[in-house]
Amino acid sequence: MNNLVYLVAAYAFAWLAILAYLYSIARRQRRLEHELKVLQRTLDREKAER
Amino acid sequence: MAQRHNDLLQTLVALTAVLVVISLYTVFVVAPTEQTMGHVQRIFYYHVASAWVGFLAFLVACVGGLLFLANRSLLWDTVSAASVEIGLLFSVIALVQGSLWARPVWNTWWTWDPRLTTTLVMCLYYSATMMLRQLGGSEERSARVGAVLSIVGFVNVPIVFLAIRMWRTIHPVVFTTAGFAVAPRMLLALLASLLAFTALYACLLWMRIRVTQLARDISRLRHGLTSRRTL
Repeated sequence: MNNLVYLVAAYAFAWLAILAYLYSIARRQRRLEHELKVLQRTLDREKAER
Repeated sequence: MAQRHNDLLQTLVALTAVLVVISLYTVFVVAPTEQTMGHVQRIFYYHVASAWVGFLAFLVACVGGLLFLANRSLLWDTVSAASVEIGLLFSVIALVQGSLWARPVWNTWWTWDPRLTTTLVMCLYYSATMMLRQLGGSEERSARVGAVLSIVGFVNVPIVFLAIRMWRTIHPVVFTTAGFAVAPRMLLALLASLLAFTALYACLLWMRIRVTQLARDISRLRHGLTSRRTL
């Protein structure tokens, strides 16, 4: 029965690590998409000014 | 094009979710409880699947490195770098799960067994390659360094796989020349886990590549903007 702790810990660790990695990718993607939008807007504004 | 990529990724994510649910069902419901070790033996399914994804990812990184050196396309460098990162994640998961399984079965968290030691060396090597990439300097130089390191590093992967066949070890051998050394319903759970984790790897690789490409687009746009302002 005590061994169940190890089983739960092993599966919990695997899923937590995968989810943490997924979260970090999603966060980086959101930040980059926002940055890309801002840059594109700046470029469009500069084009319009010329 | 971007919309088609999004749709394909969403389909892949949905398929992966279904495969993960099936794998969990086969692991906890279909697979029988092992008589000697009891429920803790169920760690085996995700432990092997994680180790498999580690090997696969390092193979993809090696092939990506070779293709980059052959045609200098940064896309292959992106694939290689992303694959090393994911391979390291899954190798660490396999190591930690192995340790959690070893504690009740071998009565120790860690032993310097050939399989464990070679896996640890492999993880340390790929962690070092990720750090060395950052020191590479220009994008081209960093990609070249990364390609060479992922090709050289792959030499260790067959050694890790064969360690339990070449040296005396307490680590069990599942894949023998006679086939799989497990009961049929256990084999089903193992195959379901392998399939689910392979799909998960494909999803993560795709997402990670997209992030690098976005960062590269931004860097190019920024460079364009700066050079336009200096003109």
